[in-house]
Amino acid sequence: MIELRGVGKSFGSKRAVDGLDLTVRPGELYAFLGPNGAGKTTTIKMICGLLAPSFGEVLVGGHPAGSEPARRLLGYVPDQPFLYDKLTGREFLRFIVEMYGVDRAEGSERIEEMIATFEMDDFVDDLCEGYSQGMKQRVVFASALVHGPKVLVVDEPLVGLDPRSARIVKNLFVSQARSGATVLMSIHLLGIAEELADVIGIVDQGKMLAVGTLAELRTQSRHDGSLEDLFLKLTDHDGPRAVAAAARARSEATP
Amino acid sequence: MSLVLPEPAAGAGRATVETYDARAVRALRWLRWRRFRNTLGGMVADSRLRAAMITFCSAVFWTGLFLLFLGSFHFIAGYIDLANTLVEYLFSMFFLSLLAMLLFSNGIIVHAALFRSPESTYLLTTPVSTDRIFAHKLVEAVTFSSWAFFLLGSPMLVAYGLTIQATPTSEAGAPLAFYLLSIVFLLVFIVIPASLGAIVALVVANVFPKREKSVLALAIVSGLAAAGYVGWRLWSAPGETLSGDWLGGVLDRLAFCQNPLWPSRWMSAGLMAAARGEWRPTAYYLMLLSSHAGLAYLVAAVLARDLYRRGYGRVQGGRSSRKRRGFRLMDAAFHRLFFFLPNPIRLLILKDLRTFLRDSTQWSQFLIFFGLLAFYFLNIPRLGYGAQSPYWRNLVSFLNLSVTALILSTFTSRFIFPQLSLEGRNFWALGLLPARRDQILWGKFAFSAGISLISTEFLVVLSDLMLRLNPWMIVLHVGMIAVLCLGLSGISVGLGARLPNLRESDPSKIAAGFGGTFNLLVSLVFIFTVVTALAVPCHLYFAGQDFPESARVVLSRGDLRFWLTAAVLASLALGAAATIIPLRIGIKAFNRMEF
Repeated sequence: MIELRGVGKSFGSKRAVDGLDLTVRPGELYAFLGPNGAGKTTTIKMICGLLAPSFGEVLVGGHPAGSEPARRLLGYVPDQPFLYDKLTGREFLRFIVEMYGVDRAEGSERIEEMIATFEMDDFVDDLCEGYSQGMKQRVVFASALVHGPKVLVVDEPLVGLDPRSARIVKNLFVSQARSGATVLMSIHLLGIAEELADVIGIVDQGKMLAVGTLAELRTQSRHDGSLEDLFLKLTDHDGPRAVAAAARARSEATP
Repeated sequence: MSLVLPEPAAGAGRATVETYDARAVRALRWLRWRRFRNTLGGMVADSRLRAAMITFCSAVFWTGLFLLFLGSFHFIAGYIDLANTLVEYLFSMFFLSLLAMLLFSNGIIVHAALFRSPESTYLLTTPVSTDRIFAHKLVEAVTFSSWAFFLLGSPMLVAYGLTIQATPTSEAGAPLAFYLLSIVFLLVFIVIPASLGAIVALVVANVFPKREKSVLALAIVSGLAAAGYVGWRLWSAPGETLSGDWLGGVLDRLAFCQNPLWPSRWMSAGLMAAARGEWRPTAYYLMLLSSHAGLAYLVAAVLARDLYRRGYGRVQGGRSSRKRRGFRLMDAAFHRLFFFLPNPIRLLILKDLRTFLRDSTQWSQFLIFFGLLAFYFLNIPRLGYGAQSPYWRNLVSFLNLSVTALILSTFTSRFIFPQLSLEGRNFWALGLLPARRDQILWGKFAFSAGISLISTEFLVVLSDLMLRLNPWMIVLHVGMIAVLCLGLSGISVGLGARLPNLRESDPSKIAAGFGGTFNLLVSLVFIFTVVTALAVPCHLYFAGQDFPESARVVLSRGDLRFWLTAAVLASLALGAAATIIPLRIGIKAFNRMEF
């Protein structure tokens, strides 16, 4: 459902993403890990069609990223969520439903469902300008899901959420994936990745270092420790890039 | 219930009757309306004073302009043979200037709206087509940039309509349809510079994605050079001012605005025809304007469809890799020069100074305005003011001083007032500094007053030297501008701390908000009071030198000494009050502020 083939992105002389191969299948929850400046957000922006790749190909649901059919399949939660200050949360959700052309009656049902799921009854009719960070985050998640996306891309999903809201969001990721949606999340919380992800991809300096299930990563890197230890071992610039070749081989093997 | 895994959507149902595009267009229209309604509702409910003040100030401004235009059109009507020609030139120049200004402002605002706003980033991830997003953002940008055009243009057109002379075929005053058509003309006219500005913004984003500021600076310099050239040609018109030869020369030099290819020319010709009730030429010019406005928008929309996403990617791409210089020499020199200030204040001033030097919008506006003033003051001998009588030289010197102070007040309102608000989310950092909070405000005050004093004292002395004023007058003006600098800085820093807007990150919006508007009004009242108190005795004294026949109402040297001493003392007291009271209010508010 999400496919990147030999994708690169350069900003002037700096190469932010360098020949990246990445595949996320329907029903898969993919955790995209990497240190700061590794190229995660640039990759996500290319998947969402905000940036065009300098070379390579980015496909969403078989459509070129950024095309209208690709955007229609997509639900995106950015690292810096956007809301209209002068709209209420409910008005914002209604706007999204209209923008995506969801049937009005079904859209209204979905809005109510989202309000209940994210427990927004208390504040959903207030203007967004008065929301706390956590409230904003919940409305943004609801807006990404209210139109029933087939592909969900999330950049740093749990920032600003209290434990209860974080649990709701984690459950939602799993339920989305189990229902056949493609879920890609970029996250720094390795424990969450370990807990939720079907597949983990570790990127650094624009290149995919390792990709697979946690067990596969352990095997590839000959390391039995936690994901954190594994991550630090792989992204240690002075250390050996043990599994880079294995990661490439896995990506190339995917159809 | 929410902790239970929710049932996933089984694929959202889709609209079958309406197309996606039509729904998206309607959604964007609904969005604009809803935001407008909620903003207005919030303002009426929570900020009645602010809404009333904005309405009142707009009404006063509109009425003042209307009366000014009414008087001007009555004056022009006195030149029976030339009245139509003069109005035609006046309209053509007015709309040509507006065309240029709207092109600039729309270009800048559309660029920011399309490529820098979080809303654009969000909308680009939705299925709406790029030309729809472009249209949505263009409507917002045009509304934001062109409302002043209506405020400026409408009183002129109403005044013009009321002063239309009766002819054998028509009565005095324009027909009612003229006023309605004026609105249509204005709306259509705005589309042309807005679309052209958008085209420029799209091209700049695609071709010079990291050089927007250089392009803007080049455009400003070119615009100023063109305006300077026209100004110089007008100044050098031969003949005595307001004589027939002079008028002929001036019109000859403005003939370029009558070029039939300018949209401003179609605008003026169409409006004048409508005012006379000549509907055929009115319709012709309206259609000419409409077709070109439509074409300009079409070109902009097609360019947006093909280039907007590409341009967005280029503008967003990467961080600047330019290394910043350390300013070590400046820091060291500053610490040595101002050793008597407490160290925290020195560090805070240096921080603000560095921000000022690195923010090209701040120093470029500062340089442009004060540079233009310096250019004008240097040319005073060429204009012959220095050879005029003491009465005229005194008058011009006070006018120059007033202009300098007014420009300074726009600078303090635009850049100093928003400083504390701009700290925004980093406010806690200021609050936790190992310095007393009042020192932070004193630091900002010292920074503002320092920059203001250096620039304005230089300008005022330059103006007075060029006008060959006597040393006592120069000393008086130097003292006056110092009082004004300190007062304006105190007002901006104090009110900036008392009325901060911590939610807004755009300094122009902070300056345009309630606090900024209030600050500007207080600054204007302060300047007006100080200048009037000192200028009136001098004016009356010098009027007596030039016009002895009116000796009864003018001041003798002895009277001047008394009234001037009183005025100086009053100005000093007012200056001290304007400096200390707002600062004390600001410090009190800042000390109470919770982070």
